[in-house]
Amino acid sequence: MENISDSQLLSLLIPVIVAELVLMVTALVVLVRAERTRGPKYMWALIILLGNLLGSIAFFIFGRRSD
Amino acid sequence: MALLTVERLVKTFGDVRAVDGVGFQVDEGRCIALLGPNGAGKTTTIRMLTGLLRPTSGEIRMEGVAPGQDYRGWIGYLPQSPAFYGWMTGREYLIHAGRLCGLSAKEAARRSSELLERVGIGAAGKRRIAGYSGGMKQRLGLAQALIHRPKLLVLDEPVSALDPIGRREVMSLLGELKAETTVLFSTHVLHDAEELCDDVLIMRSGRIAVGGPLERIREQDRKPVLTLETEGDAGSRSWLEGWLRRLPDGIEASSRTASGVRLAARDLDAARSAVLRELAEADVRVAKLEIGQTTLEDLFMKAVGNP
Amino acid sequence: MRTWLVLFRKEWLELLRSYRLIWLPISFLVLGVSQPITAYFLPDILASSGGLPEDVVRSIPLPNASEVMAGSLQQFGTIGLLLLALSSMGAVSNERASGTAAMILVKPVSYLSFITAKWASILAISWLSFAAGYVASWYYTVTLFGSVGGPSVIAGLLYFGLWLSFVGTLALLFSSLLSSPAAAAFGSLALAALLQVAASSLPFEQPWNPGRLSQLAAGGLDAALSDGGSAWLTVAVTATAIAAALYLAARSLQGHSRS
Repeated sequence: MENISDSQLLSLLIPVIVAELVLMVTALVVLVRAERTRGPKYMWALIILLGNLLGSIAFFIFGRRSD
Repeated sequence: MALLTVERLVKTFGDVRAVDGVGFQVDEGRCIALLGPNGAGKTTTIRMLTGLLRPTSGEIRMEGVAPGQDYRGWIGYLPQSPAFYGWMTGREYLIHAGRLCGLSAKEAARRSSELLERVGIGAAGKRRIAGYSGGMKQRLGLAQALIHRPKLLVLDEPVSALDPIGRREVMSLLGELKAETTVLFSTHVLHDAEELCDDVLIMRSGRIAVGGPLERIREQDRKPVLTLETEGDAGSRSWLEGWLRRLPDGIEASSRTASGVRLAARDLDAARSAVLRELAEADVRVAKLEIGQTTLEDLFMKAVGNP
Repeated sequence: MRTWLVLFRKEWLELLRSYRLIWLPISFLVLGVSQPITAYFLPDILASSGGLPEDVVRSIPLPNASEVMAGSLQQFGTIGLLLLALSSMGAVSNERASGTAAMILVKPVSYLSFITAKWASILAISWLSFAAGYVASWYYTVTLFGSVGGPSVIAGLLYFGLWLSFVGTLALLFSSLLSSPAAAAFGSLALAALLQVAASSLPFEQPWNPGRLSQLAAGGLDAALSDGGSAWLTVAVTATAIAAALYLAARSLQGHSRS
């Protein structure tokens, strides 16, 4: 295995962080625009912000109420 | 000409015969009401007509469709509480429904705009259905049932979930529609049936108790009726209680309240003098005594078996 | 066919409007990338946590590229599968409970079209998400650990994609048989796990068992995981099972759709 420089490492990590951020921002936008959610909105905001990837996923699966 | 013929239709759920040998015809251009109390089997019958439920036995034939062939394209159906995809807009749903019925994209879009206006939700067409009120959903439901110009419009309790204003509006809409297509609708409200339809089928515990053209039923079963209303004081009430138990021959109670009673009579004159004599003797505080003819309501109450 | 396309368009639109088309691929992407990254940094993490003596940490061998890819597949097979099952568990039962299915099925629409349109959308989102995660995992593995053979990577993609499709079909079937979405998710995952455990732990060969698919995928990448059996029967049985499940799901709509 060849060694990798710090800048290369950074360029590998950045896409992952961007993907997670995109998901989090999407979740927050959906949360704010939703008319009804399962449970209070501030609770979901906390879950999305603190639980990053898993929090956002949990919101998409369980938090939205559509009829 | 019979558009739809139903013969010996039966549906059992376990031991319960929800529909027990129902047969009738729907003639083209008529408006027909399936009338009956809740639990009489109206919804089950309708769901078999629309193909949602498979009959245990019996036959449903559509004019011009070979037996066993799919006739769903000829029917437009509005269930009791129509459900939509909340994430679609009203217009998107109508286009979706239209395309499923075989309309081209262009035709579906044209029909959708037209029907949204027609049912009075033109302005809401671009909004998500999730935000619609009950009345708006009912209208959208009517629009999606009409999208493909069905030969037969089947409506299950179309107005029973609406408030008085919504009810009025949907009823007048149905009044217009029945001029254009054949309509079959169910209701437990006699008044709605009387207002709209040409024929009635009164159902009771899975069977058709009375059926036929409204006018004929009205004529056929017309009987003299006496309506007696007392002031409702203790003396009158106990007299009423006792007298009902020893009613003279030829008079029978068709419905009663705490202070009054409706009596059906075979011979009006005999009944009238019997009642007047009785009232004078017992010194009853009469509030009202009316002599008239039975209404459809009396027939309905008798047919569905309420006292 | 035209009706089917209309139904499929609706399912696709629903994927988009429910944001599944965004969150599922991103989740798989992060899932696929996390395996090579954690594997690469594991020695550093262990060293900095200070729990282990340094010479022990140094003696932990770095996995090779194929092992890392196989590890990614394992992530997709557990968490990925869970996400897919959870996102499609209500596909039919929700529509039945709310009455939207009845509104569609009174139209001249075949029950099989109704089911297969949903099925196609589940497959589309599964393959899309998995491919995104798998390709990302491949890219990171090659960058951090060195190259992996192209044919075995492609074979892994196809076998594992088929496995995900199979479990997705199970979720759809259970969703049309059971009224509770949670029961449908649990049922399909439990059956999948059962088949997988049977394939790996029972002492006799099961060339027919769809549970072998994930093993076939991983075995192509990492020979240590291979059971050496042939694949064609497994693929044929899986395809037949999928067709049978679709037929059953369509049958179950008949006469049971609640208004």
